[in-house]
Amino acid sequence: MSFYDSILAGLSLVGNVDAFLSLFIGIVVGVIGGAIPGLSATMAVALTLPFTFPMQPINGILLLLGVYKGGIFGGSIPAILIKTPGTPASSATILDGYPLAEKGQAGKALGMALWASCTADVVSNLSLILFAGWLASFALNFGPPEFFALIFFSLTIIAGVSGDSLLRGALAAMAGLILATVGLDLVYGTNRFTFGDSNLMGGLNFIAVLIGLFAIPEVIAMAWDPTGHLGKARSLGKSWVTFREYKDSFFSIIRGSMIGVILGSIPGIGAAPSAFLSYSEARRTSKNKANFGKGEIEGVAAAEAGNNGVAGATLIPLLALGVPGDVITAIIIGAFMIHGLQPGPMMFVLNVDIIYGLFIGLIVSSVMLFAVGSVAIRAFRYVADVPKRILMPAVLVLCIYGVFAVNNNMFDVGVMFVMGWLGYVMNRTRIPAAPFLIAFILGPLLEDNFRQSMLMSGGDMAVFVRGPITWAFWTFSLIALVAIYKSVRAPKTP
Amino acid sequence: MDKVPFKGLNRWLGVFTLLFSAFFAFYAIPNWVYSPSNIRNIVLSPTFWPYVLAGISALAGVALIITKQPPETDPDGPESADVGLRPYLRLIVMALIMGLTMYLLPRLGMVWTTMLTFVVTAFFFGTRYRIAAVVCAVLIPLILYTFFAHVAGVAIPQGNFVRLP
Repeated sequence: MSFYDSILAGLSLVGNVDAFLSLFIGIVVGVIGGAIPGLSATMAVALTLPFTFPMQPINGILLLLGVYKGGIFGGSIPAILIKTPGTPASSATILDGYPLAEKGQAGKALGMALWASCTADVVSNLSLILFAGWLASFALNFGPPEFFALIFFSLTIIAGVSGDSLLRGALAAMAGLILATVGLDLVYGTNRFTFGDSNLMGGLNFIAVLIGLFAIPEVIAMAWDPTGHLGKARSLGKSWVTFREYKDSFFSIIRGSMIGVILGSIPGIGAAPSAFLSYSEARRTSKNKANFGKGEIEGVAAAEAGNNGVAGATLIPLLALGVPGDVITAIIIGAFMIHGLQPGPMMFVLNVDIIYGLFIGLIVSSVMLFAVGSVAIRAFRYVADVPKRILMPAVLVLCIYGVFAVNNNMFDVGVMFVMGWLGYVMNRTRIPAAPFLIAFILGPLLEDNFRQSMLMSGGDMAVFVRGPITWAFWTFSLIALVAIYKSVRAPKTP
Repeated sequence: MDKVPFKGLNRWLGVFTLLFSAFFAFYAIPNWVYSPSNIRNIVLSPTFWPYVLAGISALAGVALIITKQPPETDPDGPESADVGLRPYLRLIVMALIMGLTMYLLPRLGMVWTTMLTFVVTAFFFGTRYRIAAVVCAVLIPLILYTFFAHVAGVAIPQGNFVRLP
């Protein structure tokens, strides 16, 4: 079947109202789900899955993909307005989005988030269509040593989110890595820092740690100074980003999209590290480097491009290899199977109409995301106008429900409170929370791949330089470390 | 958010990190990490990774102590010299509210507890919109309960007294 025939076959499948309505509803549900802190895009996709059972396969899958894409964008809304990321992927958006909201430019930050998200979405979808097979076969060559080298390289991005002090950033990262060791040992299954409590055996719940670290300190800070926010500009201000600002950030958006595409096509990395890496690179190369972390619009653009660039790319290993790239695509692969479809190389032969139908649907989804996102910004932005002394108790209650709902576990609520106090102490002592979170995400992956490599090689360290992929990542790491060293040594301009 | 003064901060953090690393390496890992006795290769032991982290943390602590702290600017403006005792008392009250919430959640149920938490926290923060706070304290937990219990299928704890449909 030629490329032209494949497109026509795809069009015949999705060229109807039902398919586009499913996609539209999915995006609306996703944006709402992503915008509610603690609900997350993952949970929104999981909750939507049962609704796809009676639907046509293509409509059901488009519905889920809409939720996924809407959810990733929706997470940026509370991240900017109330410093509470709706999804882990939006954590990096807080760094500059919230300071902009504090300056009374929430509308501009949200507008840039939408533009960057949709641009990255288009780039990611085009990459999926153009490079699916090639990138997937590249990722297939990855074994534990390659993953270890890749994750080690990813940890160097901590330098970009450490703020004024790299050492305090490193300290936060060590704390995150140490906290990630809690739970059953990955190889022998023995207890590590579980104190005999079965709740700790699976490690600390990521959502509880995330919400605790980013949302609860704001509530505690309110207790420290309940009137501190009065008089501070927190209105939406200018409601839309200018084309010039979009043009100035365009290079960061495209670079972030490409970072998202590359990291998204490698299973297991996810959107949060991509957002942080994109943000870090934008900060490193920006003319306004000093303004990053204080309300730089380019920072919002880079973070949102990084996390949305992942959305299409995670479907590359899913469709081409049948390998889910992250938790959400793991849920989506379940939807394929429920409908009797087996993602993988054979699907490109047996179900080419569905593959191309999805491609068409994904391209349309970028336009729909822009339309729904524009309305969502106007609807959700009024959160910024809610009196903070009512908003903060509401955030507290929302966090309690959201964290409990992840595992139906009251213990997670306790973890969230404890992490909240830790986050507050870190804020007071100027220890950045972002390196802590990145290390907490990457820590188990780093250890797991290190030990698997050691098991494979019988303890021979040479396994970590066994091929060109590992060499490439070690070289990237070295370049990054040299760049970090140079930036630390360079005299700071007053 | 008020922060501790810059001067000497890195040194204090370094000292704390060194002490924590020592505690982690010499007490926490030996007592709270269980390792099978028949492991031949040390790098495969469950204790290996925590020891590596303890070592790197100690190095970070030393670096924090010996590295000259560069001058930093506080984006929040100059630190208030004397904040008095009241903010610390408010932090203690906030901790009590959270602790009480954890205590009441399984007993009263999530809806009633979060209603109380909302109203107590809003009044503690000194909201000027008291009626709105009470209305929100009732409505928000009810809406969340309806969504999570009846749409998402989450088993929201109901408590021992008044059960919701």
